[in-house]
Amino acid sequence: MWTAGKAQERVLRWGADPSGGAPYVFTDPANPDRYIGYEKEMVDALAQAMGRRAEFVPSDWETLVPSLQRRSFDVIVNGLEPTGDRAQQILFSKAYYIFQLQLTVHRDDTRIKSLDDCKDRVVGTLGNTAASRILQQQGIPFRTYADPVGAYRDLELRRIDAVVMDVPAEAFYARANPSLKPAGPPFTRGLYVIGLRKDDLALKAEIDVAIDKIIFDGTLEMILKKWGLWNEAQAEFQAPIRAGTQSTKVEEYTTTNATFNWSEALWRLTRAAAVTVLIALGAMVIAVVLGLPLAVGQWKGPPWLRAFCTLYVEFFRGTPVLVQLLFLYFGLPVVGIAMPGWLTALVGLGLNYAAYESQVYRASLEAIPNGQWEAAYSLGMGPMLAFRRIILPQAFRIALPPMTNDFVSLFKDTSVAFAISVWELATAYRELANASGQFLLLGVAVSAFYLAMSLPMAHLARLLERRLRDRATERVVEPEVATA
Amino acid sequence: MIRVSGLRKHFGNTEILKGIDFEVPPQTVLGVIGASGSGKSTLLRCLNGLETINGGTIECDDVRLEASLSHADYRRRVKDLRLKVGTVFQHFYLFPHLSVIGNIIEAPVHVLHTPKKTAETEAYELLESVGLRQAARRYPGSLSGGEQQRVAIARALAMHPALLLLDEPTSALDPRRMNSLRALLRTFVDRGHTMIIISHSMGFLAGVSDNILFMEGGVAVEFGPAEQVLNSPQDARTKDFLLTADSAD
Repeated sequence: MWTAGKAQERVLRWGADPSGGAPYVFTDPANPDRYIGYEKEMVDALAQAMGRRAEFVPSDWETLVPSLQRRSFDVIVNGLEPTGDRAQQILFSKAYYIFQLQLTVHRDDTRIKSLDDCKDRVVGTLGNTAASRILQQQGIPFRTYADPVGAYRDLELRRIDAVVMDVPAEAFYARANPSLKPAGPPFTRGLYVIGLRKDDLALKAEIDVAIDKIIFDGTLEMILKKWGLWNEAQAEFQAPIRAGTQSTKVEEYTTTNATFNWSEALWRLTRAAAVTVLIALGAMVIAVVLGLPLAVGQWKGPPWLRAFCTLYVEFFRGTPVLVQLLFLYFGLPVVGIAMPGWLTALVGLGLNYAAYESQVYRASLEAIPNGQWEAAYSLGMGPMLAFRRIILPQAFRIALPPMTNDFVSLFKDTSVAFAISVWELATAYRELANASGQFLLLGVAVSAFYLAMSLPMAHLARLLERRLRDRATERVVEPEVATA
Repeated sequence: MIRVSGLRKHFGNTEILKGIDFEVPPQTVLGVIGASGSGKSTLLRCLNGLETINGGTIECDDVRLEASLSHADYRRRVKDLRLKVGTVFQHFYLFPHLSVIGNIIEAPVHVLHTPKKTAETEAYELLESVGLRQAARRYPGSLSGGEQQRVAIARALAMHPALLLLDEPTSALDPRRMNSLRALLRTFVDRGHTMIIISHSMGFLAGVSDNILFMEGGVAVEFGPAEQVLNSPQDARTKDFLLTADSAD
């Protein structure tokens, strides 16, 4: 469908991640219908040089390469680094920009002067970037983020010790922030290139010519200056092209490579699975414990309590858990509660599932015939005793199958924690698969991990259900020895 | 000794009990008869405190429940009353998650705080007397209706009530089982228990009751020795009722 027609010839469809994407490409704060950024302006210039019309396809950084391959767009222009692993999957244009990395720390930090001081610290960066690879190679513990905003935000809250980011992003997001400061000068020099599909050689030739043209005629310099990104490195890089010598010495620049091997991938998946289990079990405990007072409050409580419980349930059921987690993670620190990511996910999912569990409990409690209450009362039991000894155990039996169901889905819902940079299974899958291109094999491995966690639980619940059911219908008559 | 005087109960504007008076002497059985809607089930639910009374008093041994008590006093008194009055419901309402023995010792252990061993010993004696000792470890779901009823009787008696209420105990029984239930109840009366039984079966009540109370429209129409009320009723309404009941029996 995308490939048909001559009309498409005149369009240059380019993909990039605009969320937290300043100054590359991002939503114009003054006009949210519009995208702006230096790469946006550069692509417009390139398209013009090629006699095409640029069309922006908003996408997601982590999945740019697979999206390109499945023809969602024709080129990637998003500060892409020509790494060895990407070279196996896609084609690169000539370089158009020289990036450097900048280490940023909290204003009050006196310990960290350079990357060498970060060996025992946690450094934040974007996933699957030159920065993350350098950190990985140097054995520095790091956390990956989906966008620079989250990383710098966590640095401000001191959830992490430092952030490494490409200079353009650092310049835009961190330099003006009074609670942050740069640690040391920018380091390494790498290239930004445009990514194309392997077989798109004609388009590559067209793009390369266009890049030379906008460098040669000073258009790119003008754009970079406008965005405050022009520096010595750019001048050195552009000089030979503008002198007409045409030789870009790529070897002079650093390229990082994703190191991928299966044993390491499995080890990382195992750790991610452990985090997933921790979050799921913790959330479960909160949901089970908190669900009961919610259910009872909504069922038998005085009007104000009933209203509160209903409000709670409707709020947590009626809004996406993703939004709730983002609120807890980024919103609560405003009032001084800054929990680490895994704890936020644990508490958030717990609060969310408590709403669902309360409804399961309520339905189960209401399913117990009134006669059970009356029988208990007429034996002299008070309401609390009757509830605890007579009603609750019977309701539990009814609640067990839907509870099992909820908890299997809770295991899977832990994957939303990727939004707040928790290294759980789904995050691990995204990052490892993007770094390696092994979507299929890693997908099978990750699914196996999820099943290995949820199947035993489902089995356990079935066993318990069967025991409770058998007990109600068993006809075995045990000979009883007199105790008198 | 049970004494009910001036007992009134209404639901909204509908008066169900319009001032009921009667006495049940110790170690006797009172049979309550009347058409559906005459108020006999409501009377039973007032006697075990499941309904709040609107007028009159219920006395059971030293517990005196009065409609005029303050809310807090009333609630305390209902608790006391429930300890004196045991109920065998028409549908038994055994606790399905507890074994037979568990059903019986539940209230003695958790309400009276009887040591579990003592409660179990007593429970086995009760099961023995209702002929279900071998079923102690079974669960209610696996028992027949008649067996469930006998467990319900044992469960109520385990609390040593001064008065045992039975709501329609014959509704699910065939004639042979009715006879054995009658014999069973009489043995408990001989051992000192006092009972009020609601039943539609005149034959069953004739054989088990000492006194009969006939209710109609929320009023106690006739009260007297069983022989007299059933065979030579004084009130025309009682006569009419017995005629139709006999043809149905």
